[in-house]
Amino acid sequence: MLETNTIIFLGGLLFLIGILVNTLSARLGFPLLLLFLVIGMLAGEDGIGGIQFDDFETAFLVSNLALAVILLDGGLRTRMDTFRAGLGPAGVLATWGVLVTAASTGVFIAWLLDIDWRLGLLLGSIVGSTDAAAVFNLLRQSGIQLNERVGATLEIESGANDPMAIFLVLLFLEVILSGEQSGGVVAALLMLVQQFGIGAVAGLAGGRLLSASIGRMRLADGLYALLVTSGGLVLFGAVNLIGGSGFLAIYLAGLIVGNRRARVAEHVKRVMDGLAWLAQAGLFLILGLLVTPSHLLEYSLAAITIAAFVMFIARPLAVTTSLLPFRFSKREITYVSWVGLRGAVPIVLAIFPTMRGLPDSALLFDVTFVVVLTSLLIQGSTISILARKLKVIVPDKAKPLDSRELWISRDNFIELLAFRVEEDSPAVGKNPAQLKSRMAGEPELVQVVRSGKRLYARDALHFQVDDQVWLLAEPGQSDTIADYFSEHRRRGELAASRFFGEFVLRGDSPGADLASAYGLDLSPTQLEGTVADLIRKGKARHLVIGDRVALGPIRLTVREMAGDEVLSVGLKLSS
Amino acid sequence: MKIADVLEPDHTYCNVPGVSKKRVLENLASFLSEDKDFATDTDAIYQKLLEREKLGSTGIGSGVAIPHCRVAGCNKITGVLLKLNDSIDFDATDGEPVDLVFALVVPEEQTDEHLQALSAIAELLESPDTRARLRAATSDEELYDLATSAEPT
Repeated sequence: MLETNTIIFLGGLLFLIGILVNTLSARLGFPLLLLFLVIGMLAGEDGIGGIQFDDFETAFLVSNLALAVILLDGGLRTRMDTFRAGLGPAGVLATWGVLVTAASTGVFIAWLLDIDWRLGLLLGSIVGSTDAAAVFNLLRQSGIQLNERVGATLEIESGANDPMAIFLVLLFLEVILSGEQSGGVVAALLMLVQQFGIGAVAGLAGGRLLSASIGRMRLADGLYALLVTSGGLVLFGAVNLIGGSGFLAIYLAGLIVGNRRARVAEHVKRVMDGLAWLAQAGLFLILGLLVTPSHLLEYSLAAITIAAFVMFIARPLAVTTSLLPFRFSKREITYVSWVGLRGAVPIVLAIFPTMRGLPDSALLFDVTFVVVLTSLLIQGSTISILARKLKVIVPDKAKPLDSRELWISRDNFIELLAFRVEEDSPAVGKNPAQLKSRMAGEPELVQVVRSGKRLYARDALHFQVDDQVWLLAEPGQSDTIADYFSEHRRRGELAASRFFGEFVLRGDSPGADLASAYGLDLSPTQLEGTVADLIRKGKARHLVIGDRVALGPIRLTVREMAGDEVLSVGLKLSS
Repeated sequence: MKIADVLEPDHTYCNVPGVSKKRVLENLASFLSEDKDFATDTDAIYQKLLEREKLGSTGIGSGVAIPHCRVAGCNKITGVLLKLNDSIDFDATDGEPVDLVFALVVPEEQTDEHLQALSAIAELLESPDTRARLRAATSDEELYDLATSAEPT
């Protein structure tokens, strides 16, 4: 009895501490995950908690479960339209990129530690994949808005590269344990295709099924998220059992469910927020508990050298070769290289050899742990600074304070939106009738809250700074309306007038007209194309907001996109 | 480049009727064609201004528009500042109606000066304080003084 209550008490206490320091870490720009790892280590055998925990099997189970939930949540939150710019690059990074990182790191490790090359490659594969939990969490926590090409590439890569790393780990583990030189290239490739193939097909099919079922079933609102989670876990387990990649499957299933507009999608995402947080915290806590910090010192110097090799040589090599066909800019390649965050996945993979009873597995686990710690500490805490330095960020869009979907039938909804009237925004001093006539779809004013009091929504009312305005609007209007209520940031690199420039051009206007308006010296092909084509030339095929080109004295920047079409382009004078 | 380099008192008009975007552009063209530095007719200037608007409205938001173009037969960089009586729809970026119009017409060959002058005008009108003061002007002279004195030193 005592033990049960002690475990509950300690478990609860650890999470409680984690939640309380949550706000602190966001403020300090300190990776939250690292915090949980440290809390786990402090609570463990060498720390103040003194908890003895070396149950690899429990840790393995918990971490797989947590990873599945994290990937499901990541999929739910990945918008399908960002797939456009990120899918190709992420696909190559998740396969070829992992192979390059694993192979180069493996060879380096074998040389550095003077160990068998197969063991070196095994360790290289373990640290080969970037971590979805770390990437999703840190990018979202950082408060920066990456340009869509970079952001989508990083997120999709981290969700999709685990199968490759797992495959490589299993392959080398097999090679070492069976003592063969190589298990046959054909068999290995077949296994890879099987992992990806079953994972992808089952994930897409499972996602459809889940999405259809949440659309049809009538459940208590809180249960939908649990339906999606349990459905996802069934899929994850089943796909792993039949030899596919469960990680890929559950990520894809999340993606399908998250992108289908449904009455309950909002509830699902809200509940999943908490679940994913719990999974990440739990995962890092248990991994922190599992490690014996005093052992880490033994290999720390070698491990830090390996971490440096991964950060400065292996990952940049993998990224540069992977992104070559996609025409990323040098800055973008540098940034993607740097955000090769290692996290829970390598640590979980490092448990595999222990589970299979491989000798020297303690070495693998401890080195991996230090590599992950170093990566989270150094790369994790610099992702915002570097994004600013490398200019891969775009101005944030104005967002409503709150938004709720009100479903008026099975397929249709309207949105209830709340905004705060900001100083210098176009809304100040306007009345509801002016607002209504300005916006497509005629948003309906519901109420205005001024100094905590509700005002009647009469036309005689004029919006004042700090009013909270509640509106009913058609779906898809919230960005335009948010602009109306927000002050456009006037200072700094990201002020819209500085980032995009003084003037706005139509993306489809002829390049020749631009040349004649400003006396630009353009080539015949440039003259034939549109303004958007001027930016597209020599750049990635899919343009994203923030892509730019300097044409003599002026600079053009993509400002608005609708799918693959460039709606508007910013023109900045004297760049 | 300073505002005083491109704007003259007799090209500053306080309280002009706005009516419509088309009318404003026509008025601008006719004000300019009367200038001694222009050896070009009203219609040619109007067409050039219109062409530039087709690339994308020069309404840059917050009720401000900066129509501009290069014109053959123009001998000097020339600005025209209008404060309209009534706000007009200008297809501006932020959708807001426009009541401050600072037009700029330059000789065809002066491309660099063109951009520098546009920059100076955009910077002037970026300040909410300046816009508020210009809107409060009651005479052509006051409008001119405010526009030329408001710029940062």
